[in-house]
Amino acid sequence: MPTTFTLPHRPLKESLAYYLGWAALLALLTLSWEGADMRPGELIRDSANMAKFLSGFFPPSFTEWRMYANEMIITVEVAVWGSFLAVICSIPLGILCAENMVPWWICQPVRRLMDACRAINDMVFAMLFVVAVGLGPFAGVLALWINTMGTLAKLFSEAVEAVDPRPIEGVRATGANWLHEVVFGVIPQVMPLWISYSLYRFEANVRAATVLGIVGAGGIGQSLWENIRGFNYADTAAILIIIIVSVSMIDALSQYLRKKFV
Amino acid sequence: MLDIPAIHVNRLTKSFCRDKKALNDVSLSIADGEMVALIGASGSGKSTLLRHIDGLVQGNKGSADQRLCCIDVLGRPVQSCGKIRRDVRRTRADIGFIFQQFNLVGRLSVLTNVCMGFLGRIPAWRGAGALFTRDEKLQAMEALARVGIADLAGQRASTLSGGQQQRAAIARTLVQRAKIILADEPIASLDPASSTRVMETLAEINRADGITVVVSLHQVDYATRYCPRTIAMRNGEIAFDGSSERLSHDFLVKLYGSDSEELIMGHKLHPKAADQTAIVQELLKHEALSHAAV
Repeated sequence: MPTTFTLPHRPLKESLAYYLGWAALLALLTLSWEGADMRPGELIRDSANMAKFLSGFFPPSFTEWRMYANEMIITVEVAVWGSFLAVICSIPLGILCAENMVPWWICQPVRRLMDACRAINDMVFAMLFVVAVGLGPFAGVLALWINTMGTLAKLFSEAVEAVDPRPIEGVRATGANWLHEVVFGVIPQVMPLWISYSLYRFEANVRAATVLGIVGAGGIGQSLWENIRGFNYADTAAILIIIIVSVSMIDALSQYLRKKFV
Repeated sequence: MLDIPAIHVNRLTKSFCRDKKALNDVSLSIADGEMVALIGASGSGKSTLLRHIDGLVQGNKGSADQRLCCIDVLGRPVQSCGKIRRDVRRTRADIGFIFQQFNLVGRLSVLTNVCMGFLGRIPAWRGAGALFTRDEKLQAMEALARVGIADLAGQRASTLSGGQQQRAAIARTLVQRAKIILADEPIASLDPASSTRVMETLAEINRADGITVVVSLHQVDYATRYCPRTIAMRNGEIAFDGSSERLSHDFLVKLYGSDSEELIMGHKLHPKAADQTAIVQELLKHEALSHAAV
Protein backbone atom coordinates (compact mmCIF):
# COMPACT_ATOMS: atom_id res chain seq x y z
CA MET A 1 0.00 0.00 0.00
CA PRO A 2 1.61 3.29 -1.05
CA THR A 3 1.87 5.88 1.70
CA THR A 4 1.29 9.50 0.80
CA PHE A 5 3.51 12.19 2.23
CA THR A 6 2.63 15.81 2.74
CA LEU A 7 5.25 18.50 2.68
CA PRO A 8 5.55 20.70 5.77
CA HIS A 9 3.51 23.81 5.18
CA ARG A 10 5.20 27.14 5.57
CA PRO A 11 3.05 29.68 7.38
CA LEU A 12 1.98 32.60 5.19
CA LYS A 13 3.42 35.17 7.57
CA GLU A 14 6.83 33.54 7.46
CA SER A 15 7.03 33.26 3.67
CA LEU A 16 5.79 36.83 3.28
CA ALA A 17 8.59 38.08 5.49
CA TYR A 18 11.03 36.02 3.47
CA TYR A 19 10.05 37.57 0.13
CA LEU A 20 9.75 41.03 1.60
CA GLY A 21 13.30 40.71 2.92
CA TRP A 22 14.64 39.95 -0.53
CA ALA A 23 12.55 42.75 -2.06
CA ALA A 24 13.96 45.21 0.45
CA LEU A 25 17.53 44.20 -0.37
CA LEU A 26 16.83 44.54 -4.09
CA ALA A 27 15.31 47.96 -3.58
CA LEU A 28 18.31 49.11 -1.56
CA LEU A 29 20.72 47.98 -4.26
CA THR A 30 18.72 49.69 -7.01
CA LEU A 31 18.42 52.97 -5.14
CA SER A 32 22.15 53.03 -4.46
CA TRP A 33 23.07 52.37 -8.11
CA GLU A 34 22.93 55.99 -9.24
CA GLY A 35 24.69 57.48 -6.22
CA ALA A 36 27.51 54.94 -6.34
CA ASP A 37 28.11 55.83 -9.99
CA MET A 38 28.00 52.20 -11.08
CA ARG A 39 29.39 51.82 -14.63
CA PRO A 40 30.14 48.13 -15.16
CA GLY A 41 29.65 48.48 -18.93
CA GLU A 42 32.71 50.68 -19.23
CA LEU A 43 34.88 48.03 -17.58
CA ILE A 44 34.13 45.77 -20.53
CA ARG A 45 34.03 48.41 -23.26
CA ASP A 46 37.34 49.98 -22.23
CA SER A 47 38.99 46.75 -21.17
CA ALA A 48 41.91 47.48 -23.49
CA ASN A 49 42.79 50.57 -21.41
CA MET A 50 42.54 48.50 -18.24
CA ALA A 51 44.95 45.93 -19.65
CA LYS A 52 47.39 48.67 -20.62
CA PHE A 53 47.18 50.16 -17.15
CA LEU A 54 47.81 46.82 -15.51
CA SER A 55 50.72 46.04 -17.80
CA GLY A 56 52.45 49.09 -16.36
CA PHE A 57 52.85 47.16 -13.08
CA PHE A 58 54.93 44.47 -14.75
CA PRO A 59 57.69 43.74 -14.23
CA PRO A 60 57.88 45.24 -10.72
CA SER A 61 60.97 47.35 -10.18
CA PHE A 62 62.92 46.35 -7.10
CA THR A 63 65.84 48.73 -7.63
CA GLU A 64 64.87 50.75 -4.54
CA TRP A 65 63.90 47.72 -2.44
CA ARG A 66 66.29 48.57 0.39
CA MET A 67 64.52 51.86 0.99
CA TYR A 68 61.10 50.26 0.74
CA ALA A 69 62.05 47.44 3.11
CA ASN A 70 63.38 49.99 5.55
CA GLU A 71 60.13 51.94 5.40
CA MET A 72 58.16 48.75 5.84
CA ILE A 73 60.12 48.05 9.02
CA ILE A 74 59.28 51.55 10.27
CA THR A 75 55.62 50.84 9.42
CA VAL A 76 55.65 47.71 11.57
CA GLU A 77 57.41 49.62 14.36
CA VAL A 78 54.69 52.26 14.30
CA ALA A 79 52.10 49.50 14.61
CA VAL A 80 54.05 47.88 17.48
CA TRP A 81 54.14 51.06 19.56
CA GLY A 82 50.63 52.15 18.69
CA SER A 83 49.26 48.74 19.66
CA PHE A 84 51.36 48.47 22.82
CA LEU A 85 50.23 51.82 24.20
CA ALA A 86 46.64 50.98 23.29
CA VAL A 87 46.75 47.60 25.08
CA ILE A 88 48.28 49.13 28.24
CA CYS A 89 45.60 51.82 28.40
CA SER A 90 42.78 49.44 27.51
CA ILE A 91 43.40 47.26 30.57
CA PRO A 92 42.10 49.84 33.09
CA LEU A 93 39.68 51.38 30.57
CA GLY A 94 38.25 47.97 29.68
CA ILE A 95 37.50 47.33 33.36
CA LEU A 96 35.99 50.80 33.73
CA CYS A 97 33.70 50.17 30.72
CA ALA A 98 32.34 46.92 32.18
CA GLU A 99 28.87 47.15 33.70
CA ASN A 100 29.53 44.37 36.20
CA MET A 101 32.64 46.02 37.65
CA VAL A 102 31.80 49.71 38.13
CA PRO A 103 28.67 51.79 38.78
CA TRP A 104 26.90 53.23 35.73
CA TRP A 105 28.13 56.77 36.38
CA ILE A 106 31.68 55.61 35.71
CA CYS A 107 30.89 53.04 33.05
CA GLN A 108 28.74 55.23 30.80
CA PRO A 109 31.05 58.29 30.48
CA VAL A 110 34.11 56.09 29.88
CA ARG A 111 32.19 54.14 27.25
CA ARG A 112 31.15 57.31 25.42
CA LEU A 113 34.76 58.48 25.44
CA MET A 114 35.86 55.17 23.94
CA ASP A 115 33.07 55.41 21.35
CA ALA A 116 34.52 58.73 20.26
CA CYS A 117 38.05 57.28 20.00
CA ARG A 118 36.70 54.43 17.90
CA ALA A 119 34.32 56.40 15.72
CA ILE A 120 37.00 58.64 14.24
CA ASN A 121 39.16 56.84 11.72
CA ASP A 122 42.88 56.55 12.39
CA MET A 123 43.65 58.50 9.17
CA VAL A 124 41.76 61.46 10.59
CA PHE A 125 43.66 61.22 13.87
CA ALA A 126 46.90 60.94 11.87
CA MET A 127 46.15 64.19 10.03
CA LEU A 128 45.42 65.92 13.32
CA PHE A 129 48.55 64.61 15.03
CA VAL A 130 50.71 65.59 12.05
CA VAL A 131 49.62 69.14 12.77
CA ALA A 132 50.18 68.69 16.51
CA VAL A 133 53.54 66.88 16.65
CA GLY A 134 54.87 67.34 13.12
CA LEU A 135 55.38 65.02 10.17
CA GLY A 136 56.73 61.55 10.83
CA PRO A 137 56.04 58.18 12.43
CA PHE A 138 55.31 59.57 15.92
CA ALA A 139 52.08 61.10 14.62
CA GLY A 140 51.20 57.67 13.27
CA VAL A 141 51.88 56.01 16.63
CA LEU A 142 49.59 58.46 18.40
CA ALA A 143 46.83 58.00 15.81
CA LEU A 144 46.90 54.20 16.09
CA TRP A 145 47.09 54.41 19.87
CA ILE A 146 43.92 56.48 20.26
CA ASN A 147 41.88 54.62 17.67
CA THR A 148 42.95 51.14 18.83
CA MET A 149 42.37 52.06 22.46
CA GLY A 150 38.74 52.81 21.63
CA THR A 151 38.27 49.45 19.99
CA LEU A 152 40.20 47.36 22.51
CA ALA A 153 38.58 48.93 25.57
CA LYS A 154 35.21 47.90 24.18
CA LEU A 155 36.34 44.37 23.33
CA PHE A 156 38.09 44.00 26.70
CA SER A 157 35.00 45.17 28.59
CA GLU A 158 32.82 42.69 26.72
CA ALA A 159 35.14 39.91 27.87
CA VAL A 160 34.94 41.24 31.44
CA GLU A 161 31.14 41.31 31.32
CA ALA A 162 31.11 37.64 30.34
CA VAL A 163 33.25 36.36 33.24
CA ASP A 164 32.05 33.78 35.71
CA PRO A 165 31.07 35.76 38.85
CA ARG A 166 31.63 32.84 41.22
CA PRO A 167 35.46 32.97 41.44
CA ILE A 168 35.17 36.74 42.00
CA GLU A 169 32.83 36.08 44.90
CA GLY A 170 35.34 33.55 46.18
CA VAL A 171 38.02 36.25 46.21
CA ARG A 172 35.63 38.75 47.80
CA ALA A 173 34.83 36.33 50.62
CA THR A 174 38.45 36.39 51.80
CA GLY A 175 38.10 40.07 52.74
CA ALA A 176 39.76 41.26 49.51
CA ASN A 177 39.14 44.74 48.12
CA TRP A 178 37.88 45.72 44.65
CA LEU A 179 41.34 45.83 43.10
CA HIS A 180 42.12 42.37 44.44
CA GLU A 181 38.92 41.08 42.89
CA VAL A 182 40.04 42.47 39.53
CA VAL A 183 43.59 41.12 39.78
CA PHE A 184 42.73 37.64 41.06
CA GLY A 185 39.14 37.10 39.94
CA VAL A 186 38.77 38.91 36.61
CA ILE A 187 42.15 39.21 34.87
CA PRO A 188 43.02 35.50 34.97
CA GLN A 189 39.65 34.70 33.42
CA VAL A 190 39.84 37.21 30.56
CA MET A 191 43.57 36.90 29.83
CA PRO A 192 43.35 34.47 26.88
CA LEU A 193 40.68 36.55 25.15
CA TRP A 194 42.50 39.81 25.83
CA ILE A 195 45.72 38.47 24.32
CA SER A 196 43.83 37.22 21.31
CA TYR A 197 42.08 40.56 20.76
CA SER A 198 45.35 42.47 21.20
CA LEU A 199 47.13 40.38 18.58
CA TYR A 200 44.18 40.82 16.22
CA ARG A 201 44.37 44.56 16.60
CA PHE A 202 48.12 44.47 16.05
CA GLU A 203 47.55 42.73 12.70
CA ALA A 204 44.97 45.32 11.76
CA ASN A 205 47.31 48.11 12.85
CA VAL A 206 50.11 46.89 10.58
CA ARG A 207 47.66 47.13 7.67
CA ALA A 208 46.45 50.52 8.82
CA ALA A 209 50.01 51.81 9.25
CA THR A 210 50.82 51.09 5.60
CA VAL A 211 48.59 53.98 4.53
CA LEU A 212 49.32 56.45 7.35
CA GLY A 213 52.25 57.75 5.28
CA ILE A 214 49.80 59.22 2.76
CA VAL A 215 48.99 61.96 5.25
CA GLY A 216 52.63 62.25 6.32
CA ALA A 217 52.46 60.13 9.44
CA GLY A 218 55.41 57.91 8.57
CA GLY A 219 55.97 54.50 7.11
CA ILE A 220 55.76 53.01 3.64
CA GLY A 221 52.54 54.83 2.76
CA GLN A 222 54.46 57.90 1.73
CA SER A 223 56.53 56.10 -0.93
CA LEU A 224 53.41 54.31 -2.08
CA TRP A 225 51.54 57.57 -2.53
CA GLU A 226 54.44 59.31 -4.29
CA ASN A 227 54.87 56.45 -6.75
CA ILE A 228 51.17 56.25 -7.56
CA ARG A 229 51.00 59.98 -8.15
CA GLY A 230 54.15 59.86 -10.30
CA PHE A 231 52.70 57.03 -12.46
CA ASN A 232 55.65 54.80 -11.41
CA TYR A 233 53.60 51.62 -11.48
CA ALA A 234 56.62 49.30 -11.53
CA ASP A 235 57.78 50.73 -8.21
CA THR A 236 54.21 50.74 -6.90
CA ALA A 237 54.02 47.03 -7.70
CA ALA A 238 57.24 46.40 -5.78
CA ILE A 239 55.89 48.25 -2.74
CA LEU A 240 52.59 46.38 -2.90
CA ILE A 241 54.47 43.07 -3.01
CA ILE A 242 56.57 44.07 0.00
CA ILE A 243 53.40 45.03 1.90
CA ILE A 244 51.62 41.81 0.99
CA VAL A 245 54.56 39.64 2.06
CA SER A 246 55.11 41.52 5.35
CA VAL A 247 51.45 41.64 6.30
CA SER A 248 50.99 37.94 5.52
CA MET A 249 54.00 37.05 7.62
CA ILE A 250 52.76 39.09 10.57
CA ASP A 251 49.25 37.64 10.26
CA ALA A 252 50.67 34.12 10.30
CA LEU A 253 52.86 34.86 13.30
CA SER A 254 50.02 36.48 15.21
CA GLN A 255 47.67 33.62 14.39
CA TYR A 256 50.27 31.17 15.69
CA LEU A 257 50.63 33.14 18.93
CA ARG A 258 46.87 33.42 19.37
CA LYS A 259 46.48 29.66 19.06
CA LYS A 260 49.17 29.25 21.73
CA PHE A 261 47.30 31.40 24.20
CA VAL A 262 43.71 30.29 23.75
CA MET B 1 34.68 37.96 75.11
CA LEU B 2 33.19 34.62 76.10
CA ASP B 3 29.59 35.74 76.09
CA ILE B 4 29.78 37.37 72.66
CA PRO B 5 28.25 34.92 70.19
CA ALA B 6 30.23 34.07 67.05
CA ILE B 7 27.18 34.76 64.92
CA HIS B 8 24.14 36.69 65.95
CA VAL B 9 21.25 37.23 63.56
CA ASN B 10 18.37 39.35 64.76
CA ARG B 11 15.01 39.26 62.97
CA LEU B 12 16.41 39.12 59.44
CA THR B 13 13.94 39.32 56.59
CA LYS B 14 14.78 39.25 52.91
CA SER B 15 12.52 39.35 49.89
CA PHE B 16 13.94 39.16 46.40
CA CYS B 17 10.56 39.73 44.76
CA ARG B 18 7.85 41.86 46.25
CA ASP B 19 5.61 39.34 47.94
CA LYS B 20 7.71 36.20 48.36
CA LYS B 21 10.04 36.18 51.32
CA ALA B 22 13.28 34.22 50.99
CA LEU B 23 13.93 34.78 54.66
CA ASN B 24 11.18 35.63 57.10
CA ASP B 25 12.04 37.02 60.50
CA VAL B 26 15.03 34.76 61.12
CA SER B 27 16.82 35.05 64.45
CA LEU B 28 19.61 32.82 65.65
CA SER B 29 22.68 32.83 67.79
CA ILE B 30 25.67 30.57 67.40
CA ALA B 31 28.31 30.35 70.11
CA ASP B 32 32.03 30.32 69.56
CA GLY B 33 33.36 26.87 68.62
CA GLU B 34 30.05 25.28 67.67
CA MET B 35 29.55 23.05 64.66
CA VAL B 36 26.08 23.63 63.33
CA ALA B 37 24.23 22.07 60.42
CA LEU B 38 21.75 24.13 58.47
CA ILE B 39 19.31 21.82 56.76
CA GLY B 40 16.34 22.32 54.51
CA ALA B 41 15.09 21.60 51.03
CA SER B 42 16.43 23.59 48.12
CA GLY B 43 14.92 27.05 48.15
CA SER B 44 14.33 27.03 51.88
CA GLY B 45 16.74 29.92 52.44
CA LYS B 46 19.90 28.19 53.69
CA SER B 47 22.26 29.75 51.14
CA THR B 48 20.57 33.13 51.40
CA LEU B 49 21.06 33.13 55.16
CA LEU B 50 24.75 32.22 54.93
CA ARG B 51 25.36 34.84 52.25
CA HIS B 52 23.75 37.45 54.49
CA ILE B 53 26.03 36.52 57.36
CA ASP B 54 29.09 37.09 55.13
CA GLY B 55 27.66 40.43 53.96
CA LEU B 56 27.45 39.29 50.34
CA VAL B 57 23.75 40.19 50.19
CA GLN B 58 21.83 42.78 52.13
CA GLY B 59 18.63 42.11 54.00
CA ASN B 60 15.43 44.11 53.89
CA LYS B 61 15.46 47.55 55.37
CA GLY B 62 13.17 46.57 58.20
CA SER B 63 11.97 49.20 60.61
CA ALA B 64 13.94 52.15 61.89
CA ASP B 65 14.72 50.24 65.07
CA GLN B 66 18.46 49.55 64.83
CA ARG B 67 18.14 46.11 66.33
CA LEU B 68 15.92 44.80 63.54
CA CYS B 69 17.32 42.99 60.51
CA CYS B 70 20.85 43.09 61.81
CA ILE B 71 23.69 40.61 61.83
CA ASP B 72 26.71 40.70 64.12
CA VAL B 73 29.70 38.45 63.64
CA LEU B 74 32.22 38.15 66.48
CA GLY B 75 30.61 41.18 68.08
CA ARG B 76 31.10 43.35 64.99
CA PRO B 77 28.12 44.43 62.90
CA VAL B 78 28.03 43.06 59.34
CA GLN B 79 24.79 44.71 58.30
CA SER B 80 21.80 46.34 59.82
CA CYS B 81 18.52 47.61 58.37
CA GLY B 82 19.46 46.56 54.84
CA LYS B 83 22.82 48.32 54.79
CA ILE B 84 26.09 46.46 54.69
CA ARG B 85 28.73 48.07 56.89
CA ARG B 86 31.56 49.89 55.14
CA ASP B 87 34.16 47.95 57.10
CA VAL B 88 32.63 44.60 56.16
CA ARG B 89 35.91 43.49 54.54
CA ARG B 90 37.58 43.35 57.94
CA THR B 91 34.85 41.05 59.22
CA ARG B 92 34.89 38.98 56.04
CA ALA B 93 38.60 38.33 56.58
CA ASP B 94 37.60 36.49 59.76
CA ILE B 95 34.97 34.44 57.97
CA GLY B 96 35.98 31.62 55.68
CA PHE B 97 33.31 30.98 53.06
CA ILE B 98 33.08 27.62 51.30
CA PHE B 99 30.90 27.54 48.19
CA GLN B 100 29.01 24.71 46.56
CA GLN B 101 30.89 25.33 43.30
CA PHE B 102 34.23 25.85 45.14
CA ASN B 103 34.68 29.30 43.49
CA LEU B 104 38.40 28.91 42.96
CA VAL B 105 40.02 30.79 40.08
CA GLY B 106 40.53 27.95 37.64
CA ARG B 107 43.41 29.41 35.65
CA LEU B 108 45.54 30.16 38.70
CA SER B 109 47.60 27.60 40.58
CA VAL B 110 46.22 25.92 43.67
CA LEU B 111 48.93 27.64 45.70
CA THR B 112 47.94 31.11 44.46
CA ASN B 113 44.29 30.33 45.17
CA VAL B 114 45.17 29.38 48.73
CA CYS B 115 47.41 32.45 49.12
CA MET B 116 44.35 34.61 48.39
CA GLY B 117 43.41 33.87 51.98
CA PHE B 118 46.05 36.46 52.94
CA LEU B 119 44.42 39.27 50.95
CA GLY B 120 42.36 40.56 53.86
CA ARG B 121 45.36 40.69 56.19
CA ILE B 122 48.38 41.92 54.20
CA PRO B 123 48.87 45.49 52.89
CA ALA B 124 46.53 46.10 49.97
CA TRP B 125 49.29 47.04 47.50
CA ARG B 126 51.16 43.81 48.18
CA GLY B 127 47.99 41.82 47.60
CA ALA B 128 47.19 43.68 44.39
CA GLY B 129 50.60 42.78 43.01
CA ALA B 130 50.22 39.15 44.12
CA LEU B 131 53.47 39.66 46.04
CA PHE B 132 53.19 36.93 48.64
CA THR B 133 56.28 36.35 50.73
CA ARG B 134 58.10 33.04 50.89
CA ASP B 135 56.89 32.60 54.44
CA GLU B 136 53.27 33.14 53.40
CA LYS B 137 53.64 30.63 50.58
CA LEU B 138 55.03 28.12 53.06
CA GLN B 139 52.06 28.72 55.34
CA ALA B 140 49.80 28.06 52.37
CA MET B 141 51.68 24.83 51.69
CA GLU B 142 51.19 23.83 55.31
CA ALA B 143 47.44 24.40 54.97
CA LEU B 144 47.38 22.35 51.77
CA ALA B 145 49.26 19.55 53.53
CA ARG B 146 46.69 19.63 56.31
CA VAL B 147 43.83 19.03 53.88
CA GLY B 148 45.95 16.41 52.12
CA ILE B 149 46.64 17.96 48.71
CA ALA B 150 50.09 19.55 49.11
CA ASP B 151 51.33 17.60 46.09
CA LEU B 152 48.88 19.45 43.83
CA ALA B 153 50.00 22.96 44.83
CA GLY B 154 51.61 23.80 41.48
CA GLN B 155 48.69 22.69 39.32
CA ARG B 156 46.00 24.92 37.91
CA ALA B 157 42.93 24.75 40.13
CA SER B 158 40.75 23.76 37.17
CA THR B 159 42.68 20.50 36.76
CA LEU B 160 41.61 19.26 40.20
CA SER B 161 38.64 17.03 40.94
CA GLY B 162 35.65 18.52 42.75
CA GLY B 163 36.65 17.05 46.10
CA GLN B 164 40.23 18.31 45.73
CA GLN B 165 39.00 21.79 44.76
CA GLN B 166 36.76 21.89 47.82
CA ARG B 167 39.71 20.93 50.03
CA ALA B 168 41.78 23.68 48.41
CA ALA B 169 38.94 26.08 49.27
CA ILE B 170 39.10 24.87 52.87
CA ALA B 171 42.88 25.42 52.85
CA ARG B 172 42.18 28.98 51.76
CA THR B 173 40.03 29.55 54.85
CA LEU B 174 42.81 28.08 57.01
CA VAL B 175 45.32 30.53 55.54
CA GLN B 176 42.79 33.24 56.18
CA ARG B 177 42.95 32.20 59.86
CA ALA B 178 39.20 32.46 59.79
CA LYS B 179 37.49 32.21 63.15
CA ILE B 180 34.26 31.14 61.52
CA ILE B 181 33.70 28.92 58.50
CA LEU B 182 30.44 29.24 56.61
CA ALA B 183 30.05 26.33 54.21
CA ASP B 184 27.24 26.66 51.67
CA GLU B 185 26.31 23.18 50.45
CA PRO B 186 29.98 22.18 50.39
CA ILE B 187 29.24 18.58 49.44
CA ALA B 188 26.25 18.99 47.15
CA SER B 189 28.42 18.70 44.01
CA LEU B 190 30.60 15.86 45.31
CA ASP B 191 30.49 12.07 45.25
CA PRO B 192 29.94 10.26 48.58
CA ALA B 193 33.64 9.50 49.20
CA SER B 194 34.71 13.11 48.60
CA SER B 195 31.74 14.33 50.65
CA THR B 196 32.85 12.32 53.64
CA ARG B 197 36.41 13.55 53.20
CA VAL B 198 35.32 17.20 53.10
CA MET B 199 33.00 16.81 56.11
CA GLU B 200 35.77 15.03 58.08
CA THR B 201 38.12 17.92 57.27
CA LEU B 202 35.61 20.51 58.45
CA ALA B 203 34.91 18.55 61.65
CA GLU B 204 38.63 18.16 62.33
CA ILE B 205 39.20 21.92 61.93
CA ASN B 206 36.29 22.57 64.28
CA ARG B 207 37.67 20.15 66.89
CA ALA B 208 41.37 21.00 66.68
CA ASP B 209 41.25 24.77 66.12
CA GLY B 210 37.97 25.57 67.82
CA ILE B 211 36.73 27.29 64.66
CA THR B 212 32.99 27.83 64.51
CA VAL B 213 31.53 25.96 61.55
CA VAL B 214 28.10 26.46 60.03
CA VAL B 215 27.45 24.07 57.19
CA SER B 216 24.34 23.95 55.06
CA LEU B 217 23.36 20.51 53.86
CA HIS B 218 20.41 18.88 52.37
CA GLN B 219 21.16 15.40 53.59
CA VAL B 220 20.08 14.95 57.17
CA ASP B 221 22.37 12.03 57.89
CA TYR B 222 25.50 14.16 57.38
CA ALA B 223 24.05 16.67 59.82
CA THR B 224 23.43 14.06 62.50
CA ARG B 225 26.81 12.43 61.94
CA TYR B 226 28.99 15.56 62.10
CA CYS B 227 27.09 18.35 63.79
CA PRO B 228 25.84 18.34 67.39
CA ARG B 229 23.35 21.10 66.62
CA THR B 230 21.01 21.44 63.67
CA ILE B 231 18.98 24.36 62.46
CA ALA B 232 16.26 23.29 60.06
CA MET B 233 14.73 25.77 57.64
CA ARG B 234 11.47 25.71 55.76
CA ASN B 235 10.16 28.42 53.46
CA GLY B 236 12.59 31.01 54.81
CA GLU B 237 11.80 30.36 58.45
CA ILE B 238 13.55 28.41 61.15
CA ALA B 239 11.47 25.32 61.74
CA PHE B 240 13.75 23.60 64.21
CA ASP B 241 16.79 24.58 66.23
CA GLY B 242 18.27 22.10 68.64
CA SER B 243 20.24 18.93 69.19
CA SER B 244 20.71 16.86 66.04
CA GLU B 245 19.79 13.75 68.01
CA ARG B 246 16.20 14.91 68.15
CA LEU B 247 15.87 14.71 64.40
CA SER B 248 13.85 11.53 64.08
CA HIS B 249 12.34 10.48 60.78
CA ASP B 250 8.81 10.99 61.95
CA PHE B 251 9.76 14.44 63.05
CA LEU B 252 11.31 15.27 59.66
CA VAL B 253 8.33 13.94 57.79
CA LYS B 254 6.08 16.02 59.96
CA LEU B 255 8.33 19.01 59.43
CA TYR B 256 8.82 18.81 55.71
CA GLY B 257 5.92 16.78 54.38
CA SER B 258 6.54 15.97 50.75
CA ASP B 259 9.96 17.64 50.82
CA SER B 260 11.22 15.12 53.36
CA GLU B 261 12.03 12.53 50.73
CA GLU B 262 14.73 14.74 49.28
CA LEU B 263 16.16 15.39 52.73
CA ILE B 264 16.23 11.81 53.87
CA MET B 265 17.61 10.53 50.56
CA GLY B 266 21.06 10.85 52.11
CA HIS B 267 20.25 7.79 54.20
CA LYS B 268 20.99 5.64 51.17
CA LEU B 269 24.51 5.55 52.53
CA HIS B 270 23.35 3.61 55.57
CA PRO B 271 22.88 -0.14 55.41
CA LYS B 272 19.24 0.07 56.42
CA ALA B 273 18.52 2.61 53.70
CA ALA B 274 16.04 0.47 51.82
CA ASP B 275 13.76 -0.01 54.83
CA GLN B 276 13.86 3.65 55.73
CA THR B 277 13.02 4.81 52.24
CA ALA B 278 10.12 2.42 52.26
CA ILE B 279 8.91 3.79 55.57
CA VAL B 280 9.15 7.35 54.33
CA GLN B 281 7.24 6.46 51.20
CA GLU B 282 4.56 4.80 53.32
CA LEU B 283 4.30 7.91 55.43
CA LEU B 284 4.15 10.16 52.39
CA LYS B 285 1.44 8.04 50.83
CA HIS B 286 -0.46 8.20 54.06
CA GLU B 287 -0.14 11.97 54.15
CA ALA B 288 -1.20 12.30 50.53
CA LEU B 289 -4.29 10.20 51.25
CA SER B 290 -5.21 12.25 54.27
CA HIS B 291 -4.83 15.41 52.19
CA ALA B 292 -7.06 13.90 49.53
CA ALA B 293 -9.63 13.07 52.17
CA VAL B 294 -9.77 16.70 53.23
